[in-house]
Amino acid sequence: MLSFALKNMAIKKVQVILVAVSIIISAGVAVLAYNTANQVRDGITGTAGWYSAIIGPAGSKTQLAMNTMYFTDEPLGTIPYSVVSELQRDSRVKRVIPYAMADNYNGYRVVGTEPAFLESKEIAEGRMFDYAAEYEVVLGASVAKVCDVSVGDDIFTSHSASEQHTQPLKVVGILKESHSAYDRVVFTQLKTIWAVHEHEEEHEEEEEHEHEHMENSVCAAIVSTENPSFAMTLVSDYGGKIIADEDGDSVTLQAIEPMETVRGILEEIDSTKYIVYVLCAIILIMNVIVISIITLLNMYNSAKEISLMRLIGISMKKINLLYILQNGIIGLVSVLLAFAVSKICLRFMDTYASSMGVVLNTAKVYPMEWVILALVFAIAVLPTIICTFVMARRDSISE
Amino acid sequence: MIEIKGVSKTFKNETALDYRDIAFENGKSYMLLGASGCGKSTLLNMIAGILSPDKGEIIIDGKEMSAASQKEKDRFRIEKIGYIFQDFKLINEMSVADNINILRLEGVDTSRADELLEKLGIAEKKNKKVKHLSGGQKQRVAIVRALVKSPDIILADEPTGNLNYSIGEQVIKELTQAAQGKTLIAVTHDERLSRFFDCVIDMNSVTGTPYDAAQGKAVN
Repeated sequence: MLSFALKNMAIKKVQVILVAVSIIISAGVAVLAYNTANQVRDGITGTAGWYSAIIGPAGSKTQLAMNTMYFTDEPLGTIPYSVVSELQRDSRVKRVIPYAMADNYNGYRVVGTEPAFLESKEIAEGRMFDYAAEYEVVLGASVAKVCDVSVGDDIFTSHSASEQHTQPLKVVGILKESHSAYDRVVFTQLKTIWAVHEHEEEHEEEEEHEHEHMENSVCAAIVSTENPSFAMTLVSDYGGKIIADEDGDSVTLQAIEPMETVRGILEEIDSTKYIVYVLCAIILIMNVIVISIITLLNMYNSAKEISLMRLIGISMKKINLLYILQNGIIGLVSVLLAFAVSKICLRFMDTYASSMGVVLNTAKVYPMEWVILALVFAIAVLPTIICTFVMARRDSISE
Repeated sequence: MIEIKGVSKTFKNETALDYRDIAFENGKSYMLLGASGCGKSTLLNMIAGILSPDKGEIIIDGKEMSAASQKEKDRFRIEKIGYIFQDFKLINEMSVADNINILRLEGVDTSRADELLEKLGIAEKKNKKVKHLSGGQKQRVAIVRALVKSPDIILADEPTGNLNYSIGEQVIKELTQAAQGKTLIAVTHDERLSRFFDCVIDMNSVTGTPYDAAQGKAVN
C-alpha cells in the first residue's frame, strides 16, 4: 500500500506540493514564533537570576541592565572604582563584581571583570584568566569559533574600527558554548582594560588624542546581597547619589534591581509575543481552510479513480486507508520539513536576537513545539479522514 | 454455476428490465448478444455485485450473491471475478504494471502479470503510462488485470467496443484462449465473434425487450 500511495502521490505532484507548502508555512511559523518568544524570555530571565542590584551611572535603566547582563548597547558611562570598594565594605552586600566594557575584538565586546563573573560558566579549553595577571583573556565559544582563535594565541583589541591597540592579549581559555550572550564576548581582568588604556594613552599623549578615561573606573558594579530585601535598600541608597570622581567631577549614580527592569522588558516582549501568537493562530486557521479546500478538491478529482478502484473490487476500507496514508505521509514529511525550516530560520533570527543579548539555540526544542506540529499534522489529515468517512457512508457502488 | 432467477431491475429513469431465468455453467464461454439498452451490461454488473437486483436472486455456486452484504460482494469480486470493462477502467497517469499491481491493495497475487503481458504481446509496455497506449493495448492491459488473479468467472463488457474488427477479433481470440477452463461471459454487439464462444445468448429474448430495428436499440 505504501508503494502504491507514493506512486499515486507522484502523479499528483501539484496538489501534493500545495498541501505540503501550506503545512510547512503554518507549522513552521507557529513553531518558530513559539520557540523564539520562549528562548528570548528564558535567555533574559536566566541571566538576570543571580543579580540583586546593579549600580552604574545615571541614565536609562534598561540600557544599564541590558549592557551589564546581556552585553548589548553602549555603557552609560563610568563610575569611580571607589563605589565598588565602598560596596565591598557594605554589610548588606555579599559580593560585588566590577564590570567594564571598553573595547572590541573583531566586533565582539571586551568585558573587564573578575573571574567570579564567569563562575557559572564552564571552561571548555584552557583556564580562567588570572585574577592578578594582566593581558589574559577568556573567549566566548562563538568568538573562538568564528575568529578561529585557540588557547595560546595573541589577539589585539580595538577601541574603534580604526584604532587597534598595540598591546597583545593572550588567550588563556575558551568558555564552553552556553547558547547565551556569553558566547559572544571576550572576558578579561578589569586591570587589563585599565592597563590597555593606560598603555595607549602613554603613546597617544603626544598626539593629543583624547580617550575615555578608564583607569580606576568601571561601567557598573554588580551586587549580590546577603538578603533579597537588602537589594531594595541598596537601590534606594545609591539611586541618585552624587559622588566625585578622581578628577573632582561629580558623577550621579543610579541603582536598579535587574529583575524588576527585566520584568518591564518582558512585559513588552509578552505583549509582542501575544501579537505573534494571534498572527500564528490566524495563519493556522487560514491554512486549515486552504488544506481543507485542497483536500476536498483532491478527493473530488479522485472520485473517478476511487470509483474505478471500487469497480475492480478494492474495498472502501482499503481506499480510505490509502488516502489517509497518502495525506499522512504528506502531513508527516511536511511537519518535519516545517520543523527543519523553523530551525534554519531560527539561525537567522539569532542575529536579531543577539542584539537583545540572547543567543537562540537551534537545538532547543520545547515540548509545546511537538504539540504544535502534532496539531498541524492532525489538521492536515483530518479533512481526508472526514472525506473518506463521508465517502464510505455514501458508498453507492450498489446503486 | 451462475443462476439468474426472476431478476428484475428498475433504474431511476424508470427503465425496467425483467430477466428470464438463465444459468451459466462453470468453465463455459458465453456471448451475450443484443441491442443497446436490453440489459446486457446490467446483468454483468449484477453478477459482479456492482448492482443489486430489485427482485429475484443471483446465485453463484450455490450462494445467493444478490442478498450478500457490500463487503461480501467486494470480497467476491476481488477474489472470484475478473471484470473487463468497456472503457477499460485504467488509471491513465499510472504505468501498466501499477494498474495491475493496484490489486495488491487487496492482497491479490499479481506475480502472473509478466507472463500474461508476454502472452498478450504487451510485455514491453509494462512500464509505460497507460495514457501513452493505443486502445487495443489498453484493452489487453484490462484483460491482464482481469486474468492475473486467476478468477473463476470472467466478465467482459464490450471488450471490442473501442477496437476495429480485426483487432477486436484478435482480442476476443486471446481472451477466450486465456479464459480456458473459466466461466467467461462477454457482452458484444458483433455477431461475427460468436464463433469463439461455447454459447450465444440473445439478451433481447432474455429480457423480453423488443428491438427497434429503425433505432437500432431496445425499446422499453
